[in-house]
Amino acid sequence: MIERIVAIAENAYTRLFLIALLFLALQTTILNELRPFDVSLEIMVLLAASVGLARGSEVGAIAGFMIGLMYDMVLTTPLGLGAAVFGIVGYLAGSVHSFVHEPTWWSRVLLGAGASGVGMVLMAGAIALVGTDGIFTTKVLTIALVVAVFNAVFSLPTERLCRWAMVKEKAVR
Amino acid sequence: MAGQSFTRRRVIALLALTSLILVTLDLRDSGITNGLRDAFAVMFRPIESATRVITNPIRSTWNGIVNYDDVAEENRRLKDLVARQEGATIANIAGIREAQELLALNGLPTLAGIESCTAQVVGSTPSNFSQTVEINRGRTCGIRVGMPVLNAAGLIGKVTEVYNDRAVVMLITDPAYSLSVKVVNTPPTTTAAPGRGSTVETTTTLSTTTTSTTTTTIYIEGFQPGATVATSPPTAPPTLPDGKPVTPNTSPLTVPPGADLPLRETGALEGRGLNRLPIVRFIENQPRFGEIAVGSPVISAGGATSLAPPDIVVGTVARVVNRSGNLGPILEVTVAANLENLNFVRILLYQPTTERIAP
Repeated sequence: MIERIVAIAENAYTRLFLIALLFLALQTTILNELRPFDVSLEIMVLLAASVGLARGSEVGAIAGFMIGLMYDMVLTTPLGLGAAVFGIVGYLAGSVHSFVHEPTWWSRVLLGAGASGVGMVLMAGAIALVGTDGIFTTKVLTIALVVAVFNAVFSLPTERLCRWAMVKEKAVR
Repeated sequence: MAGQSFTRRRVIALLALTSLILVTLDLRDSGITNGLRDAFAVMFRPIESATRVITNPIRSTWNGIVNYDDVAEENRRLKDLVARQEGATIANIAGIREAQELLALNGLPTLAGIESCTAQVVGSTPSNFSQTVEINRGRTCGIRVGMPVLNAAGLIGKVTEVYNDRAVVMLITDPAYSLSVKVVNTPPTTTAAPGRGSTVETTTTLSTTTTSTTTTTIYIEGFQPGATVATSPPTAPPTLPDGKPVTPNTSPLTVPPGADLPLRETGALEGRGLNRLPIVRFIENQPRFGEIAVGSPVISAGGATSLAPPDIVVGTVARVVNRSGNLGPILEVTVAANLENLNFVRILLYQPTTERIAP
């Protein structure tokens, strides 16, 4: 029984779930109040992108879905919408990253920021797609830009955290 | 390796399908998705509360750095406003009581007859694409989905999600919000015969906007609009603003203020989100209603299917966008409540028929 609990705790996705809970708590409390340029900073999308950057497109998509679903639980947008968008963000981040030969620290920062910005535009598009008017305006570009710049700052530490969380189980043992 | 990749691709396809099913279920207001959200909320709230306490010093520091000047300026402004409002409040309370008595006497619905629950705003939406706030009261207080929420200034939104001791309120600026409203317009200018009329200069102060309007009222001998006139002549005869004495009336009747009665037209208020003013559509282009003045009050219309009871203050007309042909104007509305600084709110325990769940 204890062995099974330890095995679950050692699972990469369990670790990611716990990290995502922490990020979600930060997202709904402090980041919700610090609104530079009247934009809410979004670290959940950074987490999804960082998993993609750290472990590739397929793991990025699965982790992005999980992170997005957790974010959906606290939002009023339809459940599953954020999951789909963050899944795409994780997949895209991993795919683009695989094209970069010997990625440097600054290319990873740029990719993290870019994926976050694209995630914001996709999110606005997805919300508009399910029938909410007045979302897809020029303000979306401001949101994408501010979120991208903020997430660029935290891109490297978040990617390192994801690399640690999503390390293969054999390596942990 | 190729087999593992194939399996992962199948997992991704499955996840895409899952999200599609979840979105469909949630849009159809399924109990499964609500149950999932409730269960997650139970697990997540303690973590969120702990994080809120831990990050409070950072939040306070940030607010001190960024908002200090604004807060100091607002404090000065509010002190002035409070001083001005104190006198007006007493007069308004008396007026409201009279109005409620009249409505009750005529069997019309009043806000006084609706129970309410007071709550405090504990958080706002973490998303950039929806305008909601979270309050610290829920089902235990009698709150249900669809109930209107207001603060001291006026309507702020409606309840969209309810938990045992928490609820989510969609603000009226959210693009998904819509409400039937009335626009109370100032009456059109009436021309009077030379020498028989009086020009009255009135200044109306509405929160931050000051508008000046000029109206001409007809003076009819023996009638004093809106006043109960005694049968015996008063000791000092009333005078018009230009100093001419008013001829005493011998009628014992109360004369309604005829031309001074405000004109009302209904429309639909829609939020537009992201720092844009809500708009009122479907105002009919009627000559009787006249030109809608900027600053005209906008109040809830009420009715069997409306989301809110009648006569709750929503805001004032900020801009009138006229359209060609028979299309009525579109009105931009400045919301009376300051939605960026919400603290205590009141939830009217009034559930619209459209939001009631069939037994």
